[in-house]
Amino acid sequence: MIIERLLLLLLFLIGLYGIIGKKHIIRKIFGLNIINTAVVLLFILEGSRIGEAAPIADASHRAMVDPIPQALMLTAIVIGVCITALSLALAVHLYRVTGSFDIDEIRIRIHHES
Amino acid sequence: MNHEDLVFATVMLPLLGAAFALFGKLTKRSTLTSWWNGVGSFVGLALPWVPLILLAPVVLQGQSIEGVVGNWYEQIGVAYTYDGLAWLIQILGYTIGGAAWIYALGGGPKGNTFTAIFLIQTGALAATILTTDIFNLFVCLEVLGITSYVLIPTSKKPGASLASFSYLMVSATAMVLFLLGTYALYRITGSLAYDQIAQGLIGLDGHQHIVSLMALVLIVSAIAIRVAVMPLYGWLPDAHALAPHAVSAVLSGVLIKTPLFALTRVLHVFPSGSEVGSLISIAGALTAVIAVIIALSQEDVKQLLAYHSISQIGYITAAWGAAISIGTTDTTGVALMVGAYLHALFHALFKGLLFLSVGTTVDVCGNRNVYTLRRGAKALRSAGERFPITIITCIIGALAISAIAPLNGSVSKQIITSAMKGSVHYYLLSAAAVGTIASFIKLLRIFFGGSSEGEEIRIRVRHLRSRWIAQTILALLCILTGICAPQVVSYTARILFPQASSAMLFTYSFSADLMVKTGITVALGVLVYLMMHLRVVKHLLTLIRTRYRDFTGLFVSFSLATAVLALFLIL
Amino acid sequence: MTTRRWLNGAGTWLAIIALAVILAPIFLSATPWPTVARDYLQQQGTADSGAINLVSAIYLGYRVFDTFGETIVLLVAILGTMGLLSQLEHLVEPAQNDQKALETTSRFALAQEKRRSHTLRTHLLEVVTGKVGPIVLLFGFYVMLYGHISPGGGFQGGVIVASGIVFLSLGNPQEGSFGISRPQVLIRLEILAFFTLIVIFSSGLITGSGFFGNPLADTPFPVAHIVLLNAVIGLKVGMSIGFMCIAMMGERT
Repeated sequence: MIIERLLLLLLFLIGLYGIIGKKHIIRKIFGLNIINTAVVLLFILEGSRIGEAAPIADASHRAMVDPIPQALMLTAIVIGVCITALSLALAVHLYRVTGSFDIDEIRIRIHHES
Repeated sequence: MNHEDLVFATVMLPLLGAAFALFGKLTKRSTLTSWWNGVGSFVGLALPWVPLILLAPVVLQGQSIEGVVGNWYEQIGVAYTYDGLAWLIQILGYTIGGAAWIYALGGGPKGNTFTAIFLIQTGALAATILTTDIFNLFVCLEVLGITSYVLIPTSKKPGASLASFSYLMVSATAMVLFLLGTYALYRITGSLAYDQIAQGLIGLDGHQHIVSLMALVLIVSAIAIRVAVMPLYGWLPDAHALAPHAVSAVLSGVLIKTPLFALTRVLHVFPSGSEVGSLISIAGALTAVIAVIIALSQEDVKQLLAYHSISQIGYITAAWGAAISIGTTDTTGVALMVGAYLHALFHALFKGLLFLSVGTTVDVCGNRNVYTLRRGAKALRSAGERFPITIITCIIGALAISAIAPLNGSVSKQIITSAMKGSVHYYLLSAAAVGTIASFIKLLRIFFGGSSEGEEIRIRVRHLRSRWIAQTILALLCILTGICAPQVVSYTARILFPQASSAMLFTYSFSADLMVKTGITVALGVLVYLMMHLRVVKHLLTLIRTRYRDFTGLFVSFSLATAVLALFLIL
Repeated sequence: MTTRRWLNGAGTWLAIIALAVILAPIFLSATPWPTVARDYLQQQGTADSGAINLVSAIYLGYRVFDTFGETIVLLVAILGTMGLLSQLEHLVEPAQNDQKALETTSRFALAQEKRRSHTLRTHLLEVVTGKVGPIVLLFGFYVMLYGHISPGGGFQGGVIVASGIVFLSLGNPQEGSFGISRPQVLIRLEILAFFTLIVIFSSGLITGSGFFGNPLADTPFPVAHIVLLNAVIGLKVGMSIGFMCIAMMGERT
C-alpha cells in the first residue's frame, strides 16, 4: 500500500525540517533520530512484504520475511544510537561552555571568546 | 599466511594496537600505561608495514586479491578486492598516520585514549578502500566519521566542539541519505555487492532507471560531503583549523581523499557513472580557484591552510573526475588518474608537513594571526631549536605546494596540467596555482620581519624532539619523491593500470619549458601578493572573510548540490 | 537582520523541497522486493552457520565484518562521550544552588544517613527500580544467550542489560551500591570485551577459515561460535550503553 511509504516520506521530511529549520540543538538531534527511524521503518516494512513468518528456520514451510534488511538495520540502529549519544555529549559541552542551546547564539558567543 | 590473511592483517593490526593501547587504561601505574601505549602504537602503525611489503610483489605484478570476508557465500557475505589502488591508499594512510602520531607524542593530545582512537581511524581507512560491498562502505565511512567527531574536540579549543557538532550533523544526515541509496539498490538488484549490483542495473528502463539514478545521486553526494568539494566544503575550515595539529594533518591528508578513491569503485557499478565524473571535474576546478581566493583573505594561519586543503582537493577531484569521464582505457584517462593519486599522496605529505611545522611555530609564539605573527625564527631559536629545522621544513612544504621543481608537488601538477591542456579546467587550475604562490608568500612572513620593539610572548614548549622527527620525515619524503619522480610515476602507473602499456606518455624533466612556466607563475604570484596591499583589494578580502556562514548554510548547499547533480543526470 | 532570517527560512524550505523531490522516487518505488536472499537463506542458512535464527546467521556469520565495525563505533562513541563529559568536571558547579536538589533520608535504607537527591527521584522510583533491576538484567542475559534460536541476540540483549544497569543505578542504594553500575567497572569490561572480540575474529586463522570465518565450522557444534559472539557482544553493548546513560545522569564517579 502506497500510503505507508508516503507517510514514511513525510516522517523523513519532518525530521529533516527539525535538523535544518530549528535553532535549538536538542531539537536538531531529535530530527536526526527521526530520520534514522524513518529509514529503519522503510527497510523493515518493505522487507516484510515477501512473507509472513519470522525469519526463524523451523519445520513449517511458510514463506519468511527477508532477513537481510533486519540484519542491516540492527547495525544502522546501533550506529544511530552512538551518533545520538556523541551529539548529546557535544550539546552538553557546548551548553556548559557558552550557556545557550541556540546554535546562532553559540556561534556568536564562541567568536567573542576567541 | 596466505594472501587473504595478509590483506586483513592490514586492517586488524591497527585495531589490535588500539586494544593494547586501551589496556593501559586498566592499570593505574603510569609507567605501565605508557608502556601499553607504546606497544599499541608499534603494533598498530609499525607492524602493518610487514604485510604491506609482503603484498607488494602481488600488486606489482598487477594481480588483485578478491573474495568474500570469511569465505562465506558471496551473494550475502561482504565482498572485497585488494588491488593496486587499495595498496597505494594504505601506504598513504600508514605514512601520514605514523608521522602524525610521532608528532602527537610531543605536540598533540597525549594519552592512551587518543592513541586508541587514532589507530581505529587508521584501521578504518585501510578497510574503506578494499571493500566492494555497499553496506560495508557505509559502516566504514561511519567509523571514519565518528573517529573524526571525537578527535576534533581533543584540542580543547572553544570552537572545536561547535566545529565537530556541525560536521557531525551534516555528515550523519548525509550517511542516512547514503543508506537510502543502498535501500534503492538492494530493492532493484537484490544484492549488496558491487558485481551483482552492476549486473542488476543493466537494461533498466522507466521508473526503475529513475530510482537507480537517484540512488547514484545520494551515494555520490554523501561521499562528496566527506571530500569537501564546493559547495559542500562548509564544515572543513573550522574542523581542520581547530583540531590538534596532528589530527589536522591526518584529516587533511588522508580522510578527505580515501572516500574519493572508494567512490571510484562505486562509479564503475553504475552505467551513468562517467557523467558524474565530468560534473565533479568542473566542480573541482572551480573549487581550486575559489578556495584559493578565500584562503588569501584568511588571517588565522590554520584556516589558511585548511582553505588550501580545499583548493588542492579541487585539483585532485578535477583530475579524478576527468579520468572517470574519459575512461581508463584511454591514455589521457590513465595519466589523469595516476596524476590524481600522486597529487593526493604528495599533497598529504606536504600539507601534513605544513600543518605540523606551522603548528610548532604557532605553539611556540602563541599567536595564530598571520598578519601580526612575526619573528617566528627568533622565537623558535629561543624555544630550544639550535638548528632551524622547523623553518626549513616549513619552507620545503611551501615550495612543494607551490609546485616548484624539484619537489614532489611540481611532478603531480605537471602530470595533471599536461593531460588537461586546452580545456577550461587548465585555465582554472593555472589561476589557482598563481593564488597559491601569493598565499604562501604571505604565510612565510611569519618567520621573518617585524619590528624589534614590542613584547613578544615566548612560550616554553617541551618535547620538541618528536615534533622535529615527524617534520623531518615528511620533509625528506617530499624531497625524495620529487627527485625520484620518474620511478615513482612509472611504478604507480604500473600498479594502478597493469594493462596499460609501460611506455607512458608523461615525461618529467627539468625542461626549459617547465622552468619558463614556473617562472611565469611565480612572477604572477608575486604580483598578486603585492596587489593584496591595495586598499580596495583589502576591503574585498575582508568582505570575503567575514561573509555570513552558519549551520543552515551547510544543509542548503548540500541539498542544492544534490539537486544539481540529479538534474545533470536526468537531462 | 530580517533579510538574513528570511533568506534562512527560504533556504530551509528550498533544501527540504529539493531533497523531497529526490527522495520521492526512492521512497515510493513499487518494484517487487527481491526474494533471492530469502530463498537461499531459508534453505541453507542453518546449514552454513548453525543458527536457527537467520538474522543472527547473517550478522554473526555472513556479514560479521559489518558487526565488527558497529562494535567499533560503539567503542569510539563511549570513549568520546567519556572524554567530553570528563572535561566538564571543572566547568560544572556543584548542584548546591539547584532548587530541585534536596536532602532525603530514605525510609528503606538500612543506614539512616542523608543523601543528596533530586525531587524527581522519589521513593517510589527508587524502590521499584531497585527491585526490578536484577530481573531486567536476568531477562537481558536470556535474550543475549538464546539469540541463536529465538528472536534476540547480542545487541537486543545488550540494550536490555544496559537498561537493567540504569535501573540498578537509579535504585535504592543500600550499604554498598551495586558494583556493576560503577563507571570504572563498566569501562574495564568494555575494553576486555573489545579485545576478546578481536581474538575471536582472528581465531579463524588457526583452523584455516581465515579472519572472520567460523573456526568451528567443521565440528559438530558450529553454533557455539555464534553463542559466544552473542554473549561477548551483549556484554559489550550493555556496558557501553549503560555507561553512556549513567554518565549523562551526572553521577560523579
